[in-house]
Amino acid sequence: MLMLTTISDLAVCGHKPLFDTVLPVGQINLPSEARFHDVFHDLFERRYYTNHGVVTQELEEKLCRLFGTRHALTMTNATLALSLVCKGLNLPVGGKVIVSAFTFAATVQALTWAGLDPVFCDIDPLTHNMTAQMGAPLLDTPGVCAILGVHLWGNACDIEGLEALARERGIPVFFDAAHAVGCSHKGRPIGGFGTCEVFSFHATKILSATEGGCVATNDDALAERLRNLRSSYGRRATVPIPIAGYGRFSEAQAAFALLSLEDFPQNCRNNQRRLRLYTEGLQGVPGIRFLLPSEGESHNYQYIVFEVEEKDFGLCRNELVQALAAENILARRYFVPGMHRCVPYITQCPQYVNALPVTDVVCEKVMQVPSGQCVTDENIAAVCALIRFIQAHAGELKGMLPQ
Amino acid sequence: MKKQTVADFALFGGQKLFSEPKPTSGLYRPSEERFFAYAQSVFTTRRLTNSGPLVCQLEKRLAELHDTETCVTFCSGFLALLLSIHTLALAGRTEVIMPSATYRRMAAIVTWAGLEPRYADIDPQTMGVNASLFQPHISSKTALLLGVHPIVAMSAVEELEALSSESGIPLLLDSVEAAYGTINGKNIGSFGVAEVFSMHASKFINGFEGGYVTTNDVPFGEKLKIIRAFGFQAKDTITDLGYNAKLNEIHAAMALACLDEIDKQIQHNKRIFRRYEDGLAGLPLHLFRYADDEERTWKNIVIRLDEGWELTRDALLAILQAENILARPYYTPPLHKTGENPLPIILPVTDSITASTCILPSGTHVSEDDADAIAETLHTIYNNRQSFKEKFREGQCSC
Repeated sequence: MLMLTTISDLAVCGHKPLFDTVLPVGQINLPSEARFHDVFHDLFERRYYTNHGVVTQELEEKLCRLFGTRHALTMTNATLALSLVCKGLNLPVGGKVIVSAFTFAATVQALTWAGLDPVFCDIDPLTHNMTAQMGAPLLDTPGVCAILGVHLWGNACDIEGLEALARERGIPVFFDAAHAVGCSHKGRPIGGFGTCEVFSFHATKILSATEGGCVATNDDALAERLRNLRSSYGRRATVPIPIAGYGRFSEAQAAFALLSLEDFPQNCRNNQRRLRLYTEGLQGVPGIRFLLPSEGESHNYQYIVFEVEEKDFGLCRNELVQALAAENILARRYFVPGMHRCVPYITQCPQYVNALPVTDVVCEKVMQVPSGQCVTDENIAAVCALIRFIQAHAGELKGMLPQ
Repeated sequence: MKKQTVADFALFGGQKLFSEPKPTSGLYRPSEERFFAYAQSVFTTRRLTNSGPLVCQLEKRLAELHDTETCVTFCSGFLALLLSIHTLALAGRTEVIMPSATYRRMAAIVTWAGLEPRYADIDPQTMGVNASLFQPHISSKTALLLGVHPIVAMSAVEELEALSSESGIPLLLDSVEAAYGTINGKNIGSFGVAEVFSMHASKFINGFEGGYVTTNDVPFGEKLKIIRAFGFQAKDTITDLGYNAKLNEIHAAMALACLDEIDKQIQHNKRIFRRYEDGLAGLPLHLFRYADDEERTWKNIVIRLDEGWELTRDALLAILQAENILARPYYTPPLHKTGENPLPIILPVTDSITASTCILPSGTHVSEDDADAIAETLHTIYNNRQSFKEKFREGQCSC
């Protein structure tokens, strides 16, 4: 039972932490051990360990249904999948791709490894996503050959707007949908928009292959190039590709992902309940604004994300994260710093350092709090009560916390 | 059914020797109990990736196995090579000196790293590389020496180390085919700046998919660990251009289970090798042999067709593959001849070796009886070589 009377009850003031063990962010959804044993036993019996085996094929068929696409190509991980997509699209080495800087490092690094340079776009302060209006002026940057939209927090970015821009210029638009497994846009599953969409099956995501990624597309020619880029196994024809790649997905990853897919509807429902508990638990707390799933759409509810407005909350985001960390609540800042201020981009393209005012502001405000399988409803109630208490005592705590 | 004439061979309508394919891949199957014992960690620690406890344990065990200061695991050998080449290449230089008779994606890996391959020929005895083969290619453009161990024998790494010291150009070794070996008693893994290995299911250590790098250069190892995880040196602190090349915990569990059974695997391999050695005696085929006085995996059965064999290597492969004997050509085509624009260079030994050498089935899916049956088949092919030649001349087969 949470007993908070004065700030001396807080771990930052020397009290014992609220939680004995760390409460992490990220889904880390595990299947039951019994099912894990069954499918891995079968895998050993078949003695087929990788190279596009029967389990991977079954998974890809099911993913096609989930994403509503003709092709779903599993890959070692989503970062590598994004790089292979760049090659599959025949984007020229030295070309430039419009992308937001408010994204996980992988989005931009995948471009760099494919020999491309980012053209950083600012974001909408409400959705945290790039819009066509913001992207349009960047189209005139010499060398722009594609647009990479990001569906941050599982909410679709300005798909129609970006598709229109791309069509106008005759360049492809593709999407980093790492957060968006099982999400929809205007009632259609994310997966079939743009030239292709790339999903992540990392352990912290709703659908886990421990590590893993997937490209969904309705473009038959692109799909075949990607199969050829991934491996010689599983390709349906030999087609020209600009460079050989390697993106194999093992039967172990596929077996794990299939188990995760079975649990997917229940995991979504559990996430939805956790999100509701957080929003109810923090209702009315000044200075907290949740990034909520788009209304009326399917969603995986995997991220509990909010902005902390210092002038209303009384403390800044970094101070709140520190206070929670002391209690063994591993709330995380996202994305710090923005990619335009990270190595190597800060020196390679310094023109963007002060060109993204919204990104810079949002980078200072956004945080994620624990969700996923190992976070109980009681844990959430305690975290909410704690945040509420911290806000109520923000004046006393101000200046005590390292920023 | 014992094959006696050409008509008994599957390529010409006979029954296949094996009902299931006999591959050249290791495909080691460790005990399930062992795998599950390791994998249990996933459920107790809830760690599935991001340098989890199994990955850390595996890296420690592999560093011990290779007698090096450190080991860094990756999601594939491809990425282990790419990130190592990227990190070690001398800044401002463009060329990587390497053999052409090697892994078919090696040129692409070098290109992904933003560099160009410069191909050296190989030694006819070992099929590996040495200092005198690399030295003429060194110039002010040379960014890296990429030594690759051939299948079965070894490259002259001590010479290459000396060349690296003299020239100041770092030496990276692709040692997947030399895994668990020793050179003058010193463990493979500890040569050059670093050595790279694959843990693909076909390799000595089956990690489903995976790769690793061993090195005594601890700062280099630490840098690789940062780069394989998006360049994060600490939470919210990116210090390098990173990527995602992390090995997951399930793959690490598999690799650990295989590592526990190395001796068992080597004993099997050695028995198979001896069967082939006996079975192929008397044929005009050169079997590449492992050094008896060094540690080796004894995994691979590599033969070169001598002149007296008379049939072409590709004809032999066609005959064998039809029997479900999945023999493979040795690194064919070599890298300088691949792609839309083969390079206008001549590497005589590479060209000759890659046209006359092949790899016969071995590994977990091949029993001693299978090895005997394959050797016997080779005798039958040899005894019927004139009839086979006529058949091929008649164009009854596409080869």
